[in-house]
Amino acid sequence: MTLDFSFIWTAFVKLLPAIPNTLYITVVSVSCGFIIGTIVALSRIYKIPVLNQLGTSYVTFIRGTPMLTHLLLIYFGLPLIIDGLAEKYGWSFNSVSIPMIGFAYISFSITAGAYLAEVIRSGMLAVDKGQLEAAHSIGMTTFQALRRIVFPQAFAAALPNLSNSLIGMLHGSTLAFTVSVVDINAKAQIVAATNWKFFEAYLAAALIFWGLTIVIERITAWLEKRINVYNRGGVA
Amino acid sequence: MIKLTKITKSFGRNRVLNGIDLTVEKGEVVAILGPSGSGKTTLLRCINYLEKPNDGEISIDDFIVNCRNPAKKDIHALRRKTAMVFQNYNLFRHKTALENVMEGLVIVKKISRDEARKLSIELLEKVGLGNKLSSYPSQLSGGQQQRVGIARALALNPEVILFDEPTSALDPELVGEVLAVIRKIAKEGITMIIVTHEMGFAQDVANHVVFMDEGVIVEEGHPKHIFNSPKEERTKQFLARITPESAYSI
Ligand SMILES: Nc1ncnc2c1ncn2[C@@H]1O[C@H](COP(=O)(O)OP(=O)(O)OP(=O)(O)O)[C@@H](O)[C@H]1O
Ligand SMILES: [Mg+2]
Repeated sequence: MTLDFSFIWTAFVKLLPAIPNTLYITVVSVSCGFIIGTIVALSRIYKIPVLNQLGTSYVTFIRGTPMLTHLLLIYFGLPLIIDGLAEKYGWSFNSVSIPMIGFAYISFSITAGAYLAEVIRSGMLAVDKGQLEAAHSIGMTTFQALRRIVFPQAFAAALPNLSNSLIGMLHGSTLAFTVSVVDINAKAQIVAATNWKFFEAYLAAALIFWGLTIVIERITAWLEKRINVYNRGGVA
Repeated sequence: MIKLTKITKSFGRNRVLNGIDLTVEKGEVVAILGPSGSGKTTLLRCINYLEKPNDGEISIDDFIVNCRNPAKKDIHALRRKTAMVFQNYNLFRHKTALENVMEGLVIVKKISRDEARKLSIELLEKVGLGNKLSSYPSQLSGGQQQRVGIARALALNPEVILFDEPTSALDPELVGEVLAVIRKIAKEGITMIIVTHEMGFAQDVANHVVFMDEGVIVEEGHPKHIFNSPKEERTKQFLARITPESAYSI
């Protein structure tokens, strides 16, 4: 077997239009996951009744089951719930009108939320308790203290893990093909189906993922450098 | 005037403050002395509600907090009337010296950034750090960090500044610069409550000394009386143990 270099290039070009789908899924799931994760992390750190226990179960269940399983559960389970409710309350809306990518958004947000909850929680625990006390002592409310003092430091502490999660979700987004969303990987399969040059097509997909991952790593490194100016010090 | 009435505080079954009554006049510099574990830090932390007293009353002029069931807004108001200088500085690590001092002015007092900056620079100059405005805490020595901590507390123009062993985490050669700053602001008539093991300093700067042991105030009064003619046996023992002969003669 010889490698068809020119087809790698052809496939590469044909895969480009699928990049947005991959990015949408990644960005939406990580953004929603960040919000879910922050709420869960705060509930667990501040031991808010009910939310704390719910959050803990959510995190252990999601982290204890594969991402593909989450997608399948949402894909088959959500329509049952929605159509059941629609029938009961006479809505005109039903599950057929949910776009396929919507299932990916929902399920991957749930997945990302559980992983990010742990990342955010450990970031917040890395911030010295004295920082919150100092903020309180100058008269800040807890909300102001979290927003101005704790979160920025927690973000800096969590940045490497956040970046890893983002990369994980980028790569995980390939699972969306199981619900017929054409992401980069699915597109590679389609492109190769005409001439059976699967290896070349997937190699092209790999190059694109690698490139995207490098971009994320570069942005992280830049952010880290900017944010962590205050950690360099060392005169003391 | 700050008045503490029957403040009690327990950690679990361990009663750490056992009915503290203390009155601090405006402009007074109070030194709190006492053996380790006697509840000095806890008392200080109760005054600005970093620790929640179980019972008692804290009043600053006409403002009163009932510690049995304080309203959230009262706690917040109390914290705005007090400021704390911590043993381990607790400067905001991600903010420069200038930003540390500005933070409370901008976020809590809602003063414009320009004005806050001007005021903060003045304060940092006052503590001798006019040339360190844009340094992060990690780039400052312990003594410098503590002086930023003092400037941060001063910025809020509080009714009282609480100091918890402000020099005990410092290398001996850095203690002097911090004590000098505290001495300087004591002269300006700012009310201060200082927990300290620096007997010479207490004797020399304070005009009201409080000796605590096992969660109660054993004896209090003018430094001359406490240091030279203590009445209580426990005070005598403590002073005999902790004060080197030379400190008596300052
Ligand atoms: N957060 C806490 N939880 C449980 N016990 C505590 C806590 N903080 C203080 N204590 C206990 O309360 C008692 C008084 O502590 P505190 O720190 O007020 O003493 P101190 O007079 O400041 O001592 P030192 O001179 O060593 O600083 C000690 O027995 C201590 O173990
Ligand atoms: Mg102490």
